[in-house]
Amino acid sequence: MTGKPENLGRPIPRQYNGVGMQLPPLSYFLRYLFAIAFIAATTAVFFALRGTLDRAPIALLYLLPIVLSTALWGLGPGVTASFFAFLTFNYLFLQPYFTMTVHRPSDLVMLVVFLIVAVVISQLVGRAQMGLTAAREREREATQLYELSTVLSGLHDDQAIARVLAEHLHVMFRAEQVELLISGSDPFRFQLPAGIRSPQRPPELAVAIQAARGVLGEIRMWRPAALPSAGERRLLQTFATQGALALERAWLGQAESRARILEESDRLKSAILSSVSHELRTPLSTIKAAATSLRSGEVGWDSTARLDLLAAIDEESDHLNLLVGNLLDMSRLESGALKPQRQWNVLSEIIGSVLQRMHRLAESHRVEVDLVEELPLVPVDYIQMEQVFTNLLSNSLKYAPAGSLIRIHARPIDDSSLYVQISNEGPAVPEEHLDRIFDKFYRITAAERVSGIGLGLSICKGIIEAHGGRIWAENLPAGFAFNLTLPLAWDGAQPPRPQVETES
Amino acid sequence: MSSPPHILVIDDEPQILRALRTILTEKKFKVTTAARAEEGLALAAANLPDIVILDLGLPDMDGIEVCARLREWTQCPIIVLSVREGERDKVAALDKGADDYLTKPFGIEELLARVRVALRHASRTQTAPETPVKAGPITIDLAWHTVTRDGEDVKLTATEFKLLAYLAANRGRVLTHRSILTQVWGPEDADHTEYLRVYVRQLRKKLEADPERPEYILTEPGVGYRFLADE
Repeated sequence: MTGKPENLGRPIPRQYNGVGMQLPPLSYFLRYLFAIAFIAATTAVFFALRGTLDRAPIALLYLLPIVLSTALWGLGPGVTASFFAFLTFNYLFLQPYFTMTVHRPSDLVMLVVFLIVAVVISQLVGRAQMGLTAAREREREATQLYELSTVLSGLHDDQAIARVLAEHLHVMFRAEQVELLISGSDPFRFQLPAGIRSPQRPPELAVAIQAARGVLGEIRMWRPAALPSAGERRLLQTFATQGALALERAWLGQAESRARILEESDRLKSAILSSVSHELRTPLSTIKAAATSLRSGEVGWDSTARLDLLAAIDEESDHLNLLVGNLLDMSRLESGALKPQRQWNVLSEIIGSVLQRMHRLAESHRVEVDLVEELPLVPVDYIQMEQVFTNLLSNSLKYAPAGSLIRIHARPIDDSSLYVQISNEGPAVPEEHLDRIFDKFYRITAAERVSGIGLGLSICKGIIEAHGGRIWAENLPAGFAFNLTLPLAWDGAQPPRPQVETES
Repeated sequence: MSSPPHILVIDDEPQILRALRTILTEKKFKVTTAARAEEGLALAAANLPDIVILDLGLPDMDGIEVCARLREWTQCPIIVLSVREGERDKVAALDKGADDYLTKPFGIEELLARVRVALRHASRTQTAPETPVKAGPITIDLAWHTVTRDGEDVKLTATEFKLLAYLAANRGRVLTHRSILTQVWGPEDADHTEYLRVYVRQLRKKLEADPERPEYILTEPGVGYRFLADE
């Protein structure tokens, strides 16, 4: 009998139900007993009808239970039934009764013919039955293999492959316990049924999972039934081969995607380098030009030109510093090192210190801060959030026309999150670019028009997502906005509301 | 002052040393430089500088360790230099006894302002009585526990006043979250930055013209607060 494999959301291989019959398979000995009992029962009926029936029809009638026995219980019991019928027929229905001797020669002929016919018929029926059994068995194997290969072809993960293979083996071989040992870069063991220790005795069935480039693992099965037939060994080998193919394909697939990622990151790196060197050179050129002209002595000591050049050096070095900071953040974001150091913070303080630091840049625009009174504390990394607002604000300053309004608005959405919007009166971004502006090195406008390397927004996205929030861009009826949400709970704790005492 | 203040600069970058030596000498300071921590510690012991400017990223010793070693025997002001990413080092150095910090790259006015504050604070610790602290329209009388803004009384709660008084007493200097919390709320509340955030917001509402763009109670990102008073 087969154990029930765990249902893992996939069709479970069909259960095996004996050969053609709806009866459970019987033990060897029992089949013979049944055949003899059947003959005995029919004999009793015939004996009762002795007065009305002649010997010839009785001999014919005897063929019925013999054929049935063969069909039901196989060739051996069929032949046994034939001989048993032969004996009882002779003993009970041929004169002299209740002896094994036969007087009449015609009876003797009948008896011999009866025996031959009975044995030949049961042989024929038995053979046909065996052929049918074998055919059904092969059909079942074929179905199992087909199902297995269909399921395996859709899998790209070695754990899943092992599970499917074990399930099919478990059903097909009616195993008590299946164990798969998979080697490879990350070796593991899979057991079915799970959580049961494999029997102490050596496995009854074991085969290596062999692929072209070597052994990928081993299949081991324990089952109480008899030793495997040649057919079963062949089948097991086929299962192992299927498993090997699937594993090899999965591993090759993984290797390929790793190679693709490497290639992609290589491509990205060259993009970074070329973009960065271009970007760094621009402020450097300004600084160099300003410094050399100041040194040349051709700029008057008190002239406005001199002050302009000095301001240019100062501003451009700030710009360089921002670029380098973004690059560093990006590399830390990539390596996963940008883990937020959360603390309960006041959002208005973060925004305030960003505005303070950017006041010179922001002079070109009107910046309005509109925060809901008494915003809850937010569990964020102060420095990182400052970076987010710096980048979003500097992006807005870059794209929105000078003199226009930039508005920072924040309010809680519910108990669990805070919503922040930074809107400007800048040009709309084509809908298809709205998501992509947060990609690395993605810029909509030509690189010459606006400076920057397209890192700022992707850093914002990285930081916000590391905080468990969401950031998206949106076109407004008259302008453009960045929206973000931030979770208010931290490790399940709601924002604290420190009691503020009243004035004495 | 009779002799010019003596500044010891410990930094491993020759360009920074060169620039600082030029600029500080120009500003009439006496300047000594060291490129390594061991050398710096030896020079500090030999010359007894009035102020030490210390880079936290030295090749031979952790800058925080240098702070601790200096603090074993001298109370001379230490200003640490660090990069933007080094908030935790900055805070550690400040908690280990450094007086102030600057983030590279910095403007020279900023450095000079820090140096002035540090020198003034060092001299003030010896002379006791406090005159009222003035910051724009704000006047804080630490002795009389009164605060006025444009001549009008500002009502503060006990904790608000305690916090403002601590900031004002250390005007110009950066104060870490931990040191403020320990001083105002007590050591058991040293990690409750949320108290500080909320009370600073309260104070700004009462004292600043625009609480979102404070002019006097300044945030030092990731480190603490600084009260900017009139010179």
